[in-house]
Parts: sequence; C-alpha cells; structure tokens
Amino acid sequence: MVNTLAPEAAEGAVRGRPSAGPAVGGRTRARRRQAVVAWLFLAPALLFFAVFLILPLGFALLLSMSRWTGFALGDIQPVGPANYTGLFASGSTFLVPVLTNTLLFALGSVALALAGSVVVATCIDHLHLQGLWRTLYFLPIVTTVVAVGNVWKYMYEPGGLVNGVLNALGAGSVAFLEDPDTALPSLVVVQAWASVGTAILVLTAGLKSIPGSYYEAAALDGAGPVTVFRRITLPLLRPSLMLVCVTQFLTGLQSFGLIIVMTRGGPGGATDVAALEMYRQAFAHGDWGAASAAAFVLFAVVLAVTLAQVWLFGRKGEDA
Amino acid sequence: MRRRRFPWLSYLVVVTGAVLTVVPFLDMVMTSFKGPGEAGTLPYRFLPEAFDLSNYRAALHQLNLPVLFRNSVVATAVITGSVLLTSSLAGYALAKLRFRGRDFVFRFVLSTMMFPPFLFFVPRFLILAHWPLAGGNDLLGRGGSGLTASILALAVPFLVNGFGIFLMRQFMVSIPDEVLEAARVDGAGEFAVWWRIVMPQTAPVLVTLGLLTFVDAWNEYIWALLVSTADPDVMTLPVGIQLLQDHVDPARTTPVVMAGLVLSVLPVLVLFLLLQKYYVRGVMLSGLK
Amino acid sequence: MTPVPGTGGPSRRLVCALPPALLAAGCAAPHRGTGRPGDPIVLTLLSHYASGALREALQGPVDEWNATHDRVKVRTLAVEFTDLLTTFMVRQAAGRGADILHPYCLWNGQLVRAGVLRPAPPGHAEEIRRGYSAAAVGSASVDGRVYGYPTEVQTYALYYNRRLLREAGVGGPPRTWRELEETAYRTSRRDRYGNTLVQGFGLSTYDDATTVGQTLALLNAAGGTFVSADGRSTAIDSPAGRAVFELEHRLVVGGAGAPGVNVYQAFPSGRVAMVIGAGWWTDSLKALMGRAYGDVGVAPVPVPRPGGRRATLSTGFMLGVNTAGRHPREAWEFLRWLNTEKVAAGPAGKGAGVTRMSRLQVSVGSLTGRADDMRTLLGEGGDPNRHAFLDALAYAVPEPNGPGAQAAKSLLRKNVEALWTGQSSVDEALRSTRRQVDREVSRAW
Repeated sequence: MVNTLAPEAAEGAVRGRPSAGPAVGGRTRARRRQAVVAWLFLAPALLFFAVFLILPLGFALLLSMSRWTGFALGDIQPVGPANYTGLFASGSTFLVPVLTNTLLFALGSVALALAGSVVVATCIDHLHLQGLWRTLYFLPIVTTVVAVGNVWKYMYEPGGLVNGVLNALGAGSVAFLEDPDTALPSLVVVQAWASVGTAILVLTAGLKSIPGSYYEAAALDGAGPVTVFRRITLPLLRPSLMLVCVTQFLTGLQSFGLIIVMTRGGPGGATDVAALEMYRQAFAHGDWGAASAAAFVLFAVVLAVTLAQVWLFGRKGEDA
Repeated sequence: MRRRRFPWLSYLVVVTGAVLTVVPFLDMVMTSFKGPGEAGTLPYRFLPEAFDLSNYRAALHQLNLPVLFRNSVVATAVITGSVLLTSSLAGYALAKLRFRGRDFVFRFVLSTMMFPPFLFFVPRFLILAHWPLAGGNDLLGRGGSGLTASILALAVPFLVNGFGIFLMRQFMVSIPDEVLEAARVDGAGEFAVWWRIVMPQTAPVLVTLGLLTFVDAWNEYIWALLVSTADPDVMTLPVGIQLLQDHVDPARTTPVVMAGLVLSVLPVLVLFLLLQKYYVRGVMLSGLK
Repeated sequence: MTPVPGTGGPSRRLVCALPPALLAAGCAAPHRGTGRPGDPIVLTLLSHYASGALREALQGPVDEWNATHDRVKVRTLAVEFTDLLTTFMVRQAAGRGADILHPYCLWNGQLVRAGVLRPAPPGHAEEIRRGYSAAAVGSASVDGRVYGYPTEVQTYALYYNRRLLREAGVGGPPRTWRELEETAYRTSRRDRYGNTLVQGFGLSTYDDATTVGQTLALLNAAGGTFVSADGRSTAIDSPAGRAVFELEHRLVVGGAGAPGVNVYQAFPSGRVAMVIGAGWWTDSLKALMGRAYGDVGVAPVPVPRPGGRRATLSTGFMLGVNTAGRHPREAWEFLRWLNTEKVAAGPAGKGAGVTRMSRLQVSVGSLTGRADDMRTLLGEGGDPNRHAFLDALAYAVPEPNGPGAQAAKSLLRKNVEALWTGQSSVDEALRSTRRQVDREVSRAW
C-alpha cells in the first residue's frame, strides 16, 4: 500500500516540509502531475457542465424575470417577478387545470404502477422463469415514446383493441381520448403501463434482500399470507418502494412526450400539463419569459414533491 | 417454505399482466400487416386478413428511411461514445487521482443529476442558436443559425451525463490501488493506466452504461423534435414516424405508421434482448428510468 | 438579427473539421442564395400546403415563376397546419426562418410583436388596400399597418340539409335565431334509447372551427365582437355574447346538439340538419357525398331579429416577408407577381384576367379576398353554394389578431366546450372566459 492517507492530509504533510529530501520532492512532483492529469481528465465533463448546465440555468433564470417575445438578444428587458405572478394571476390557467393535471397525471400513474408492480413483483417471486417474466414486463421501457403513444392511441380508437374488447363484452364504445372526462385517466394508464417494468425490477431486488428466516419465523407463528405481506414484506420493502415512488413521480411530473404524441394537451386542455405548457409558451407563442418561469415553478414542485416523499417514508420508517 | 404448493394465483396474476404488457406490441405488429380500410373498422379484429407487406414498402418509401436511420445512428453513436469516454475519464479522476477540490467536484457532479431536463429546453436551444462563430453567427452569436443547423445539435445536450460519471467512479473506487501503483512504477503514465488497466477492468460497467445511454438516445423524442423543426435534414426516426401520419393515404395511415414503428423499435429491441443482463443491472443501479 | 455574410464561411469549415460521417447532414449549406455574383437568389417559402391538391396548387405557379425568372428562384417548404406556428417560431429562433411566410392571420399580432414580419412597402400596401375586401385587408394588418398579401379567405355560413328540413316540414333555411331554434328542434331525432339519430344543429367539440368558428360567427351576426376595439379586453360578456352562449346552451339542453359527435363525419352522412361552417368545406362535402351533395344548401348565418344586419366571421392566411430575409425586395416582387398580376382565368388562356393566387385558391375550393376575381371565376354556373361564402366577403368581420390571439382562441374554445358539455353554466362560462381572455390580451407586451 503506497498511500492510504486522505489527499488533504497528504498534501498538508508535503506543504509542511518545503525543503524535504529528493524522494519527497519526487513525490510532490508526482502529486502535482496527478492533479494536472486529474483536471485534464475532468475537463471535458466540467466544460460541458459549465456551458450546457450552469450557463443555461443562469440564462433561464434571467429569462424568467424578463420580458422577451422576440428573437434578438438585445431586446431582453428585465421585469422582475412579473412572469411568476402572471402564472398565478386571476384568469391564468396555469394553476388550474395545468398544474392540477400535472399532479393528477403523476399521482395516478405512480399509484397505478406501484400497485401493479407490488402485486406482480410479489407473485413473480414465487415462480420459475423469473427472468423471462421480467423481460416481458420490460419491453415498454426500451421502446420510444412515439411507439408507445401511437400504439395506444390506435388501441383507444372506436375501431381499436380496447373498444373491440369492450364491445365483445357487451359494453358500449368509449371515446377515451376525445372525451375530456376520460382523456387524462386514459393517459395515466399508458404512463403506468410503460413504467411498471422498472418498478417490478427494483421491487424484485428488494424482495430478494429480505432474509428467508423472517418468513420461516412467521410461518412458525402461524401467520397467514396477508399478515406476512403486511407485517414483513411491506415494511422491509420500504427502501425499494421509496425509490420507485420518488423516481416515478419525477418522471410523471415532467413527462410530456407521451402527451404530445397522444393528445397535444386536448381535448380542450383536459390533458395539458406544466412541461407541455412551458414548451408551448416558448416554441409556439414565443414567450420565453413565461416559459422559463413555468419551468422554474415546475422545478419547485418537483423538488417539493420529492422532499415530501423522502420525509414521509423516513418518518414511517421511524414509526415501525 | 414459500414454494410449497403450486402457485396458481401467482401464475394467473403474472401471466395476465404479461399479456397486458405484450398485447399492445402484438397489436402493433398485426396492424402493420393490415390492408387498406382494414384497420379501425368495426368490429375490431386482431389478426389481419392477409399478411400484406405493402405497408412496410409504403413506410420505407415515405419515410426516407436511410436519412432518418443515419441521423438516429449518428446521434446515438456520438452520444454513447461521448458519455462512455467522459464518464470513464472523469470517474477515474474522481476515484483514483488525488487533487485538491476532489470532494467538491464529486458533490457538484452529484448535484447535476438533480436538475430535470425540461429546465434546459429553452435556454439550451437559444444558446446553440447564438453559438458564436458557428453556422453564420458573428462573434456575438448574431446573424446565423449557430449550432442548431447541424446534426451535432441532436447530441449536444446528452454528451455528458452526471449519472454516468457517478456510476464509473463508484466502480473504479473498488479497483485495488496496488495494481495501478505497480503500473505507475513500471513507468506507465496516468493515461496508459486508465486505458490499459482501468478500462478493461470496468468493461462490464461500460457495457451497462453504454446500453442505458444507447436506448435513451435512440428513443429520445422531445429535443429531436425541436432540432428537426429547425432543420428537417437532421430529423431522427421517432420524429419522422410521428410526422409520417400526415403524409399517408388516410385509408391506411395506421398500418403504415405501425410498420414504421416496428422498423424503428426493432434494432433497440434486438439489442436489449441480447444484452438485457447488462441493461437490467444498469436500471437497478440508476433506479432512474 | 442583422445578417453578417462574412462569418459564414470559416465557421462552417470549423464545424466540418469533425469527422465527415458525423456531420454529413449538418453541414449542408443553408438553402439561401450564396451571394456569389452570377448565382441566382433562392427564396424559401414556408406554408402549410404540405400535401395533396394544396401542395400541387401552390407548386404550379412557383414552377412557372422559376421557369421564367433566372435571377430569383423560389423554393417551397411545407409543414402541416398544426405544426406551422411552432415551425415559424423555432426556425426563427434558430436563425433559419424562411424568406416568405404564409401565416394564419390570427398569428399576425404575435409574429409582428416578435419582429418576424416585415411591413409591406408603401407601394405594395397601397395595392393590397385597393385590391382586397375590407375583411381580408383587416386580417393582414396589425394596428392599421399592412403586413402581407391576403391569400386564402374563409367566411362562415350556415350549411343545411334540404332533405332533413323537408322531412321535418320546414320550408327553407332559417333567417333568424328563433327560426334556427325551431328548425333545430323539429329536425332533431332520437331513438327510444336516447341516442341521437339526427342533430338539429351541429354543436361539435371537434376542432377550433366547429367550436370557436361557429360561436364567433353567431357572435358577429348578433353584432358582437370577441375582443374590444383596442384589443386590450374581451367583449364576450356583452349582451350579444350572452345571447350566443344562451342560444347554444338551450340547443344542447333541448337535445338539438350532441357535442361529442364529429360533425365532419355526421353532416355528410345525413345525421346533422344544420351547422355553421367555413367555405372550404363545400369541396370536400362534394367529394364525400357524391349525388347526396344535391341536398346541401348554404345560407347566411341567421341573425337574432328579423331584418337585422348580416354579419359573420372571416378567417384567412396571408403571404408576408421575413425581417430576417436577405432579399426583401425580390420577395415582395415575387408576391406581387403571384397575387396581383392578372392572368387568364380559363385554362386555355381564355376569360377575363384574374390573379394566379385567385385561380389557385378557387381550384382547391377556397376564396381570396379579391371580389372581382371571385365573380369572374365563380360567375358562370358552378356550385351555387359557394356564392353564399362569396357574398359574405362583403359583410364578414375578420378574426381578431392581436399578440395573444392564438392563446385567447384556445381559452375561448375550452370555455365553449365546458359550456356545451354541461361542465359550466352560461354565467360561469362568460365569467371565466372574460377573466382568462382579459388576462391574456391585456398583458403588457
């Protein structure tokens, strides 16, 4: 072992003895060269972050507090928080229905995907050929949103698969995507369908990490399967559940590719969500300021929802 | 204990769920063979009357598939290559090289994963458009189209990935220092150490990261839509297929679109089935899909 | 956005220094004139005439221009209408806006505010004011300034099915709202389960035209307007606006309208007795209905009271020139050639002179705002239904086109849909429309 010291300590030691012997001098040189190499290796990534992360963030922040509806950079006029207050002014549709749609879409798809994946993952755990099942459930995830959206859009049509099944069962056809009442729930189903594979994967890994002895002990106590599930599986699955919840919420709150493909926010704004509204304000209406403000508000919502979940899961963990 | 009886109920649940997952794909494939006027008519029929290949011909003809394929392949290849390279280099520096500010840089890389992509759509596009001295722009980024008019624009926002750096760093930490030091004593420079020792050792992780990146890049839609709107010459497959529906004989729009989708989904599906072990591990590691 | 030609060369080479395979597509020279002496100037024209007859109709005169002009060539680009506004904005942001744009006039306020459209030079503006109907000139103007040559104009009128009216014992199309309502209730038919067999008056939430277009046509006919004269607030909660919302509400509640039905399919198949629609529809109805088209009649939009002044909605497109274009003079010259130069109306060089644009629009079933051309082209025989739309040119009110017009239209549509589907009452719909639209149009740009 050449050096187990923390880098700070080692450097401190070198600095402490400026007139050390040649061996130490060689080590300093090596150390210096290593630092140079390190920064060189990091340079592409850091340069990228500077230009395409920090700079855009700052630019977006500036835009969100400016009035700019044109294309020449010189026309940007700072106006303070007007774009933000505009989003929440009386008559603005941003809070209702856009933001409520966003939350409903995320909440619905997370709830559906979570329920489905918990059930399926628990069941898969008892079966042979687990890899095969997981592969099947995984197919939607490696498919582009354009394929998912178009296939489901077609399946929801009057002559599509879903209505075909409904009619075969004797029920009437439903105009899933055309009716403002059913459009958002229909999209929620697709989003959940598309994301259930990841959730199953994460939960399966969580289930595998629960020691078998717990189940044996429960069986000795004569606990039924429901009790076992509620008392042992669910509590021990909490970290995996939290991971699924947090990541799926993140995806749900910012997803709008599926909505662009399937409904473009219609009918009559029934499936309009915040990220889509941001996209439209910018690239259809050319209102860069309002778009940037909407993006930051959505970012705040994403952060709040994520922190709330972490806090909620953490607190329940202490209770148990 | 848990597998005493044959789990009928579990089989029922899992098979039902699997059918629900796969049926839309089968419907896509079946519809892609349906003849004019056959899709979307009542009553619904799952199987086509005849396996008609003409939809695939129409999709190929309408889509200008070679160009779309080339754009998708180039963008995906550039993104994947760049992510692997930058993640591996930066990961190595953060895991195995000693320098002042390492912790700070590491924390910074972690924090980049916190920002959702929608925050960047508008500013990144405008920054590319006003890129100085590119695409006819002057030094102040005025007058031309900047980088938006190049195929590079498709790839730019995805060239470096905070998660990729994190992933590589975590794996490289576990490489024993003795191995690296031995190589250094033998006179290998840091670059040689990275290339000859660290890269081979982390090959499985690289495959995982590469696959994750590849699938995401191949399927990317929103940014590609924006860039293709500015310059139709750099349109990718998903964007092209989404536009396709406006340009096909209405009597057979759906089958032709489905044929195009089958063609676009196929490469990534094959790759996934071949390398799913790596992909699955990647998803577990990231938990971020 | 002043173009700086000098920097184009070296920077492009810089980008191209990367592996060629990587950038093969990206480095294609921009589709503009190269500026070298001797090379022709290439003007790009971006429209939504993307497919079928529309595409060919536009390509005809463009080919003719290219064949007869050596120095200036025109190249057409097209996207679907739903993508047109986004394409204008994104391409402009990317510094790749087309030289000539064909916007829906509703967007003119926004495009002018964003600095995309160039005002028409005095000579052209004068020609436009002189040659077109007031509604067409109004649509192509922002704050009294003309920005382009009006092209396709649509007016709204009442389509009715003669057979359904006759079967219900109604002699002719309604002229007043009272007659409209009576006819609507008498022609509506339901089966014993309550399914609509025939809608008396088609209130369909299908698209902008069937919701907003219809509502605004009725509003104009009642003497009302959507937006106040200064464009800073909405006038929807005027007595006229309330009357329209109440009329539509009564029709839905009374069972004469079924908002969930796609009227574009239901009317041609004889399941709608009356509906207000735009002129372009005549051609597609003719194609869809075959002989049954003989049952289709067109009448002016009914007015609230007998003897009331006629009015209706007109919408339209125009051809304008991009401020970022490098050859505005040539672009305006091409537009003058296309829109005001007179050529023979008939295919064999016969007939009085009409403009190429008028000939183009009439060939695809639309109108232009040049009344004289329209009379020449539609004069002898032809489809009498189209004359109702032509007559409406004289009294139609242009769709308001302030900076927030597209957003305001979407907001109105949402509220009309909520009213029709029973989600809100007349009062609620009026209040929420006013609040939302006021906020949109009054924003301090």
